[in-house]
Amino acid sequence: MPLATNEAHLVEMAVMGNISQPSLRYPGYTLDNIGVGRVLPGMSGVVYNARVGDPAFGWAGDHVEPGVSIANPDAAAEFALHYLTCIGNRAVVTSGMAKGAEGIVTGEHARMLVDFAPDVNELLCVGDAIQIFAYGRGLALTDFPQIELKKVSPRLLDGIPLEVTDGGRKIRVPVTMELPPRIMGSGAELNSEYVDQDLMSGDRALMADLGIDQMRLGDLVVIPDADHRYGRGYRKGAATIALCIHGDSVMTGHGPGILTLMSAPEPVIEWVIDPNANIANYLNIREAS
Amino acid sequence: MSVRTNKDKLVAVSVMGQIASPGFPGLPAEPYRLDAHGRPFLLPTYGGIVYNVSVGDSAYGWLADCIHPGVSISLKDDNGNRGLNLFACVGNSAMVMTGDARGAKGFVTGKSGRFSEHVILHFSKADREKMAIGDKINIKSVGVGMELLDHPNVTLKSCSVDLIEGLEVTTNPDGRLNVPVTAVVPPHLLGAGAGLTSEGGSLHIQSQDRDALREAGLDALRLGDVVALTDYDSSFNHGYLRGALGIGVIGQGDSPRSGYGPGVTLVMTSMTGGINPVVSPGVNIADIFLSNE
Repeated sequence: MPLATNEAHLVEMAVMGNISQPSLRYPGYTLDNIGVGRVLPGMSGVVYNARVGDPAFGWAGDHVEPGVSIANPDAAAEFALHYLTCIGNRAVVTSGMAKGAEGIVTGEHARMLVDFAPDVNELLCVGDAIQIFAYGRGLALTDFPQIELKKVSPRLLDGIPLEVTDGGRKIRVPVTMELPPRIMGSGAELNSEYVDQDLMSGDRALMADLGIDQMRLGDLVVIPDADHRYGRGYRKGAATIALCIHGDSVMTGHGPGILTLMSAPEPVIEWVIDPNANIANYLNIREAS
Repeated sequence: MSVRTNKDKLVAVSVMGQIASPGFPGLPAEPYRLDAHGRPFLLPTYGGIVYNVSVGDSAYGWLADCIHPGVSISLKDDNGNRGLNLFACVGNSAMVMTGDARGAKGFVTGKSGRFSEHVILHFSKADREKMAIGDKINIKSVGVGMELLDHPNVTLKSCSVDLIEGLEVTTNPDGRLNVPVTAVVPPHLLGAGAGLTSEGGSLHIQSQDRDALREAGLDALRLGDVVALTDYDSSFNHGYLRGALGIGVIGQGDSPRSGYGPGVTLVMTSMTGGINPVVSPGVNIADIFLSNE
């Protein structure tokens, strides 16, 4: 049974960004967990060989952003791109050799992340314009006013097999794993409408013990006792459903990026472990190619 | 037995900042921030000369957002401000160099993080009355590079010789460094600042879940209290690691914002369990540095 929403009242509007160029600050070193300087790719540009559905861990990269990363050079327009775009929104290339090609929004880091088919990626150039049909800001679950949705497009909401439980008082969301609140790190200083919060992967043994190192880009995960409605903080009994949007990091306090999708300050969100809980499945991202 | 350091090799160098004005975003003049429940608030926040809040006072209860006790300084030039923020150590002495309070002596009590990057100083309330925003304050920075010769697995950051000696740290029979602290912070109550630099800035205790705060014994902290951060490694940024432990000083007051609360200035860290926090009531830098006031 689909959940009742206010979708009929949503406004759909265009925002745009350009494909970003990877950039490093000379001499390019990032210190890893034990203080060794590393130079690693991963952020910005077109990442040809990491895609939603691929592992989040194990890359010889840092904060790997799957697919295409876009940004707008104008600060106000850039924030509009960040605040209005929702996961699952349609994207269209509007300049360059791939003009007309369609993609789908899969995440938000310092740049917006868009998935295109591999043959489209081959034709994309840094600077090409990509327009997003932003749709979903304001979306709410009519019968669950305690649950805040963030950057969930109606298409994504329709794709996730949600269940209503407890006689209509709670919803149950499939997730691949639980993340303990004590490992939630960088991004706590930002408001929760903006980008993501990294899980802290520096305790490598814990990642293996809890199976967190099996996470995939695009996985839905739950953070129990996390209230992400206004900022990202600890609150017993709260729960937040989030999306893995970028890959692991060598930096202390960093790791795969976790983007807030749903949050409630009280126990109305339940979860069930399901290894298929990935937006590659829910949005049919890899099927077309 | 006091611990041995390489203090005779440390270089003392001046870093200067000017008393910073409080700031708010520009037009359309939306002055509100949102608390953890989405309610707008408008309260004093970091910067400026704070006349009535000092180290030793409560970290909680002020109608303010992460208030800095005493005087906050920064430098407009980004690189210069980074020098100020990195080299100033908790306990370093400071002197007002311009304005009606010139010659007044104070000391560093903390640092603030990503969105303000101030150094926080204590001066007597009488001296604060004479200060003006923009006054130059010079800090005799010394401490960066300091090592504990018998504790190679303990890293010092933003830590002055006076702080190490005033805290009366000792070597435990098992080889660990005994550090007296007021309280111990569990990792799930650490928030903003994780993943950011540990050489300056602040790591915040999360205070929104008041029951959790009380259970952890963190609801009566004072500005200047020395605390331990469990399972946190601050060797390179702040981040979760079982067995690691940090020592910090409460530099800023509580906040209504999610993920925030009293801010901690990191002064020691050990990745490998080299620090033994010894809880004893009221370990506060005011008692170390204010004894002469």
